[in-house]
Amino acid sequence: MKTPAPETFEGQILALLPSLRRYSRSLTRSDADGEDLLQDCVEKILTRRGQWRGLNLRGWVLTIMTNLYRNGRRGRTRDGLVELDAAEDMAAPEPPADPLERARLNDALNSLSEEHRAVLMLVVIEGYTYGEVAAALDIPIGTVMSRLSRARRRVAEQLKADNIITLRRPK
Amino acid sequence: MNDANPIVTEADLHAYADGQLPESARARVEAFLADNPDEAAAIAGWQAQNGAIRSLFADYERARDTDPLLVTPPHTVSPRTKRWAVAAAALLVFALGAVSGHYGPALLEKPALQLAGSDTLPKQAETAFMVYAAEVRHPVEVFADEEAHLAAWLGKRLAIENLKIPTLQPLGFKLVGGRLLPVDGRPGAMFMYENQAGERLTVMVGRNTENRTTSFRFASSGNLETFYWIDGELGYAVTGEISRETLRAVAEECYRQFPS
Repeated sequence: MKTPAPETFEGQILALLPSLRRYSRSLTRSDADGEDLLQDCVEKILTRRGQWRGLNLRGWVLTIMTNLYRNGRRGRTRDGLVELDAAEDMAAPEPPADPLERARLNDALNSLSEEHRAVLMLVVIEGYTYGEVAAALDIPIGTVMSRLSRARRRVAEQLKADNIITLRRPK
Repeated sequence: MNDANPIVTEADLHAYADGQLPESARARVEAFLADNPDEAAAIAGWQAQNGAIRSLFADYERARDTDPLLVTPPHTVSPRTKRWAVAAAALLVFALGAVSGHYGPALLEKPALQLAGSDTLPKQAETAFMVYAAEVRHPVEVFADEEAHLAAWLGKRLAIENLKIPTLQPLGFKLVGGRLLPVDGRPGAMFMYENQAGERLTVMVGRNTENRTTSFRFASSGNLETFYWIDGELGYAVTGEISRETLRAVAEECYRQFPS
């Protein structure tokens, strides 16, 4: 497999792929969807490379990925893959939190709309300022704030302990 | 909001939680939080949520062996492949078998493959693999001892002149046989291979009705990996429960051997 030289456009994209993979996965509902979004995004930026103005490649790519996600992803979720898959080729350097809590957080995030999720992930995963989010999504900053607020409240709501329903076997 | 701190907004609270509050506003917000334990608790909750979300996706920030494939597009056209592409366009060569695989020594140097989102192909390939590769006695309709018949029969059903069944022996995979199966509602072909360890992989070929071409892509579902691409009139998918590296080598080999 040919590896592009680091200074080329392809080489710069290649260097960004790990963090792009994290961001695309944070937007989507399964590993497969995350990889699909990543692939679609990379194909798009390679065909649109002429439109890049030579500054902040990462920001440009994140905007394209976010817009792909917002515009085209609805209803494209692969069936049967809504759980957080344990990708077999991934080690786990992070301290493994309670798997149940992780699954519940995953479910809570999956309950968000694309618009809310994109705002939340740009802030939390990518560390965007609110102003950067507004610019990337082309929405007013007030909208950013209201979406962020709603996303957080919704996730918190879903995670509330009393939402756990204990199943009992009938006697 | 507390009367004593009338100018603390919810936006300030989020900014505080996210570390985005300007230094000048910090004292004002902290004074407000000291008086408003509910808001302080909400902020602590958001910060815990931030940490949990980051932790949930942290493991995904890693490179994969196949990453160079993602960014090595057909757009970097070498003079040789450019000539090929020009010739192909001039002759309107979409017909199979008209140009042998000679020109494309490596997968990625073949010309002019473009984006498409044909999602049905890998899905169908996965399903076919799951159904047939598990079959011990009847994995295929025609076994490898009748290879010539198999090629002629499936070639006829798919309307492919001179269909050649790829040889994967150098990669350690022997042909088991093949079968006819529907791909996008039309006749398609599936070939099954097996290595010494009994690991199987399938190569599926279907008619591409969408009149477009894609670059080489992969999809995974559980342990199942599929590499697929659309080349002119045909779509191909290579599926197996084997390492992605091996599967990629198989896909490249098939790409080379199938007429384009």
